[in-house]
Amino acid sequence: MNSFANRFSTNTTQLHSPEEDNFSDATWGSQAGFGNIAMGVPTFSIPDVADPTSFLQLHTDDHADPNCRIKIQHGTTTLAFRFQGGVIVAVDSRATAGSYVASGTVKKVIEINPYLLGTMAGGAADCQYWETYLGMHCRLHELRNRERISVSAASKYLSNLVYSYKGMGLSMGTMICGWDKTGPAVFYVDSDGTRLKGDLFSVGSGSTFAYGVLDQGYRWDLTDAEAQELGRRSIYAAGHRDAFSGNSCNLYHVKEDGWHFIGNYDISKLHYDGPGDVPGAPEGGYGYDIRVEGLSSANPPEAAASA
Amino acid sequence: MASADGGAYSYSLTVFSPSGKLVQIEHALAAVAQGTTSLGIKASNGIVIATEKKTSSILIDDSVIDKVAVICPNIGIVYSGMGPDFRVLITKARKSAQAYWKIYGEYPPTRVLTQEIATVMQKATQSGGVRPYGVSLLVAGWDSHRGPTLYQVDPSGSYWAWKASAIGKNMLNAKTFLEKRYNDDISLEDAIHTALLTLKEGFEGQMTEKTIEIGVVTVPTEAELEEGKIGGETGRVRPTFRKLSEEEVRDYLAL
Amino acid sequence: MSIMEYNGGSVVAMVGKDCVAIASDLRLGNQALGISSNFQKIFPITDRIYLGLPGLATDVTTLRERFRFRVNMYTIKEEREIEPETFAHLVSSTLYEHRFGPYFVEPVMAGLSKTPSGGVKPFIAATDLIGCLNFAKDFVVAGTASSKLYGVAEGLWEPDLEAEDLFETISQTLLNAVDRDAYSGWGCIVHVITKDKVVTRTLKGRMD
Repeated sequence: MNSFANRFSTNTTQLHSPEEDNFSDATWGSQAGFGNIAMGVPTFSIPDVADPTSFLQLHTDDHADPNCRIKIQHGTTTLAFRFQGGVIVAVDSRATAGSYVASGTVKKVIEINPYLLGTMAGGAADCQYWETYLGMHCRLHELRNRERISVSAASKYLSNLVYSYKGMGLSMGTMICGWDKTGPAVFYVDSDGTRLKGDLFSVGSGSTFAYGVLDQGYRWDLTDAEAQELGRRSIYAAGHRDAFSGNSCNLYHVKEDGWHFIGNYDISKLHYDGPGDVPGAPEGGYGYDIRVEGLSSANPPEAAASA
Repeated sequence: MASADGGAYSYSLTVFSPSGKLVQIEHALAAVAQGTTSLGIKASNGIVIATEKKTSSILIDDSVIDKVAVICPNIGIVYSGMGPDFRVLITKARKSAQAYWKIYGEYPPTRVLTQEIATVMQKATQSGGVRPYGVSLLVAGWDSHRGPTLYQVDPSGSYWAWKASAIGKNMLNAKTFLEKRYNDDISLEDAIHTALLTLKEGFEGQMTEKTIEIGVVTVPTEAELEEGKIGGETGRVRPTFRKLSEEEVRDYLAL
Repeated sequence: MSIMEYNGGSVVAMVGKDCVAIASDLRLGNQALGISSNFQKIFPITDRIYLGLPGLATDVTTLRERFRFRVNMYTIKEEREIEPETFAHLVSSTLYEHRFGPYFVEPVMAGLSKTPSGGVKPFIAATDLIGCLNFAKDFVVAGTASSKLYGVAEGLWEPDLEAEDLFETISQTLLNAVDRDAYSGWGCIVHVITKDKVVTRTLKGRMD
């Protein structure tokens, strides 16, 4: 960390050694940018100015300045919660650029290793890069200590990492989820440096909608089926109401033996038909107007409405 | 009935007499009745409006006097009564037609423009400090909705649609003459001749192309309508009302 | 953020053979939050003219009433139904009256006008928010999904489509375009206007 900080102190005149310029990390393809892991942190080319942090602040995403030039994807809904049977992780799959729906098939759950999941909100590249990087360190931890890293330690590693880049435009809101010696664990980590331990989190533009359903249905002693349904139903709610979330829901369940991918559910299909034959799910669609159809004069059955 | 000097109710304001009459309007009609005769005849394929143009002195250059006025490409007006009042109404009518064009992108139907003028004339019978207009008008025009139509507007602001009508001096004689001559399937050519014959009754002096003004509405053919404006989409509206040139009037008089 | 994105919504109109079609989504939002999936943006003006008003919802309702007033006055005064071309000019001049404080809507019109020979001619038009008329011969689009609608319509539309094929074309165009727009969607409504009837259908769309 100090070596990194030192590189930004104004009296350091030499930012790069000539050798580094001749052979960039990318040259060594197999190392894929993580080549100098031995040095502790990877190196990035930094704007060659006296105060790169304040320089970057001018140009990168900032809550205070909506006109900033580097736009980072904000629309997302992700959630994770801890319960008796492990951890449920559920996310949507929409990526937007302004009002344009750039993709509907984004994988927002990053499989760090068979026991750890990270969720993706904010900068897609930031999340992907640093959580993959985190995975490498988790493996190194295993090799060094002959035991798996705790969720707490892994999340703290990530938190410290992003903190060292504070103010330089990193944008991440992530939940590190897993099962370790202490049982199921969820940690919220973001690029401001916040790191929180908790039972239940939701992150992204659709988080308020997800929280609404989640808070209403959450109990510690949820069965596995009930918990999975709650995660699915919460992401549906956000996908439905939030313009920047939707397309599909990816559902994961972390148990003692590691994470399991439960399924991918089309949000429009959840609205009209429900999740289909899955444990814990009710008959029919989640949609409000679908559920109340024929039950009030404001929602006549389809046949009557068109007559 | 008003006495010769105008009577006790002959104020400049238009007020009711105890018998329920607006004497000022009757005076205005009297002014119209002193004006030169004008007439209009609706034919099966158009309308003719005509008037005599009499000048008080041979020294007046009558080539610049217009008694038949074009309002917009589909509407023309002729009057009997006071020339200056007519000029004011023409200005208002032309502005009204352009205002309509500005909103709807087309010129007003004859009936709508007639209503506009009638409203202006009615206002002069009810507003303070003004007198009624001393003119009666014959408004002739063509529109896609009602085809060719001929309206008369009086100083009171009342208006009617006519098949044929006459206003001004000799109007009663002229109307009687028209009643005898009119039939529903008269052609425009015949109507123009009937108009000239009607004017000839009680015409003082020589009827020449200098002393007669004629305006005609011609009903466009389906092919012309389909073609639309002159010069395609962005061109000018094809006129359906036009004034006859002196040469044309001379030719009609010669027949 | 654009004011057009405050409530979201999109409209498209297309010309067919002796028929026209106009379609819109049904979403009303408050920025990212979806509020209603039954917000009508297309209104009948006469039996043969439909007007779509995507844009700021408050202006949509206000203008709808304004046009109702003006068209009713026209109908009474002139004792006839307004023609699509005339109505388009009325829309344009009404909007330009507010040149320096405009209504935030982008009207789209579709209708059948009468020909002198007694037939009908398809008519579509759109204006910007201050009334610049665009008489297109193929299709017009407006709203938050307009750029996406252009793309899909450009690919799907072809000349002289019969009413049923035009319905399919406009439906697929709208449905697929709004799926790529965050501020449009939540169901669609389509009107196909032919000489002797108007067919209105509500479509199920993606609800996210």
